[in-house]
Amino acid sequence: MAISLLKRLVRSLAVLLVVTFATFCLMFGNGPGIARAVLGMNARDADVQRKVVTLGLDQPLLVQYGKWLGSLFHGDLGASFFTGQSVTDALSTRVPVTLALVLITLALTVVLSVLFGVTAAVKGGWVDRVLQFLSVLGTAVPAFIIAIALVFTLAVAWRALPATGYVSPDISLSGWVKSLTLPVLALLVGSVAGAAAQFRTAVLDTLGRDFVRTLRARGISERHIIFRHVLRNSAGPGLTVLSLTTFGLLGGAVFIEQVFALPGMGQLANQAAQTNDVPMVMGTVLVTTVIVLIVNFLGDLTATLLNPKARTR
Amino acid sequence: MRRSTRAVVPVAALGILLAGCTGESTAGSGNTGPGGKGTLTLGMSADIQGWDPSNQPGYQGWAGEAVWDTLVQCDEFGKPQPDIADKWSISKDSRSFTAHIRSDQTFSDGSPVDSAAVAATFKYVASHGGAQGDYKGIKVETPDAQNVTITWPDPQPLIVLRVCAPKITTKALLDSGKVNDTPVGSGPYTLDKAGATRGSVYTFTRNDKNWNAANYPYKKLVLKVIESETAAVSALKTGQIDGTLISAQNYNEVKASGQKIVSLKGVTTRLLLTDYQGKKVPALGSVDVRRAINMVFDKQAMVKNLYQGHGEPSSQIFRPGSSAYIDGMADPYPYDVEAAKALMKKAGHQDGFTIELPTMAGQNFERLMPYVKQQLGLLNIKVKQVALSGANAIGDLLSGKYPVVLWQLGNLGESLADINTVVLSTGYWNLSHEKDATVDRLWKRILTGDESQRKTAQQEINKYIVDQAWFAPMVNPEGFYAHNPKVTVDHVSDFEALTPKLRDFK
Repeated sequence: MAISLLKRLVRSLAVLLVVTFATFCLMFGNGPGIARAVLGMNARDADVQRKVVTLGLDQPLLVQYGKWLGSLFHGDLGASFFTGQSVTDALSTRVPVTLALVLITLALTVVLSVLFGVTAAVKGGWVDRVLQFLSVLGTAVPAFIIAIALVFTLAVAWRALPATGYVSPDISLSGWVKSLTLPVLALLVGSVAGAAAQFRTAVLDTLGRDFVRTLRARGISERHIIFRHVLRNSAGPGLTVLSLTTFGLLGGAVFIEQVFALPGMGQLANQAAQTNDVPMVMGTVLVTTVIVLIVNFLGDLTATLLNPKARTR
Repeated sequence: MRRSTRAVVPVAALGILLAGCTGESTAGSGNTGPGGKGTLTLGMSADIQGWDPSNQPGYQGWAGEAVWDTLVQCDEFGKPQPDIADKWSISKDSRSFTAHIRSDQTFSDGSPVDSAAVAATFKYVASHGGAQGDYKGIKVETPDAQNVTITWPDPQPLIVLRVCAPKITTKALLDSGKVNDTPVGSGPYTLDKAGATRGSVYTFTRNDKNWNAANYPYKKLVLKVIESETAAVSALKTGQIDGTLISAQNYNEVKASGQKIVSLKGVTTRLLLTDYQGKKVPALGSVDVRRAINMVFDKQAMVKNLYQGHGEPSSQIFRPGSSAYIDGMADPYPYDVEAAKALMKKAGHQDGFTIELPTMAGQNFERLMPYVKQQLGLLNIKVKQVALSGANAIGDLLSGKYPVVLWQLGNLGESLADINTVVLSTGYWNLSHEKDATVDRLWKRILTGDESQRKTAQQEINKYIVDQAWFAPMVNPEGFYAHNPKVTVDHVSDFEALTPKLRDFK
């Protein structure tokens, strides 16, 4: 098992290198454009050329990437071309906002999607049909539409929650909860809808298996069968769904952070990509890739722990 | 026990989250407006560009206006007003600006505001930032701590704009190389670092020692970064911010919610026909063709239908009230498609030609381009749209590759700046950079003439480029700044007229 995990770790590092190098390639070759954007439209050509050199954008691709990689190993991700802010500083304030948004949504998604999925599978009938309808509806409506609807009702019309902004938990815990409530709800609808449908299918599949019939024949209570056996056996597909949900939430956060003016990583990545702020783009890509790899790794690890067969793969 | 614990955790999490719904209203909780806590909270559609004084935008530049003073301020027509300099003079040859710096002013680090700081700042901007070319070769003399003279190698018709731009900071900060860490200025506010989160919110406390503090009534200034206009409008309506820029699409909604709206007239929608020697598109070498292009746009209809009535037809590229603008000049090219076709025939181009029009995000092209294509089509001029994007878009746009450009370009309070940027062959918006003897002659008169002669020469340039149809001005569309009724914005002193200045919020 240790060798299996080690192999996955090495694969993850390779993926990290490939993704960051590919990103660097996509950003490469825009030196004069970036320098002009930094200096402004009225900058003279000679000044633009000097800036290209100052920023190191006149260097060959491999040299630039090598320097970035070398700095990375020293914990230095560089500074924004435009604001001079250290990328590490920027990420240190942005990542917690996005992680809070994603992790709270994920935690609630786990609870609610299992609840709805199991209920739909076990109860069947009209309960199943209603939940399936809601699931399709929730999946079909984009998160930003839900976000706007929530803002108009709960923030603008009822003034129950703030329309925009983020409050750090260090400053006010209740303010933090309020500032995240609407963004989380906006992301939650789609993620619960999608995950609940998958859980329902997985539970139904497990309920139809022979060992469940045997357990019922032995007179074991339905609750015991569901919580002790069915849920555990449905966990594999469920974990895959949650991994995918996490990636979806990271992507959705980019839009949700815009709608609610949250100073998260999505907003930073969006700004950096629009301005071709290479160090900032590389920093956000690096962190996002690491998060995705960690989620994958944890998913694999959990699956391995839950399923003995997976340990030998 | 374990089972009950498991059940409690998610329920508690959900409960905490939903508990927010039952909290008190946020309206006014953080900011009860200027009348209450003396806080002015403004939304910004983009984050600040760091604290390097050589890299501060004029557009939404409230953070820079808060922390830094300038040598003199420029008013809405680019005329000098006092700032750290209480007296000044400009040499007859427009090469030197001599200023007396008011005494007893200090920077936020406690050091005195003196001629050494002014000299260091001007030398810094001569070698840093996008405007360094404007300060190339300057010499700064500081006979004593309160007097300074800045001299350029050549006459500077825009000398006032040159001296009102640099944000004055200390030599020590500039020498340290840590200009982006913390701003050091003598402006009307000081940055409260504890209340600042990059990319999100910046809090400032009024500097009561500033010479002009009385003109900044708010004790506290908060700048919130809200990129999405929809979010900014929601924040304004719910009292989270006191003011924000809005577009015409949100005008009615914001107006209906009881907010006040200030009209900003800082741009002219125009076609730039800078290939007036016909080097790239031979047909554009004919003045009749350029005049014909001017005559196919129904400007009244554009105002009504494309700008929902928020604008005025325009036949000059200069801002009404500026020196170059000619009051009462009738539109020399009224909408007349048949007359335009006759001009095309006279020029031998009745069969038309093809032009490439570059487009970029944020220029209202989705509304303008179909109409422009349709109207030029009446003259058999085919338009190929070329979408510019990515890092090199601006460079491509200004490269001269596209001799005709449709753009909402600024009309500035100081029309000399417009002439410098879009008319002179050296201007970066004169895309073809073709020299013109008449313009050069009139510009020389501007360089050597007195105030009255300069104004006359500017108007002659205006007449000349209108006659030669270097541009096809269409509409001066309105921009909008929406604000809480508790805030007063009676006057916009931005010479670009794109946003109110911090000093305009009363």
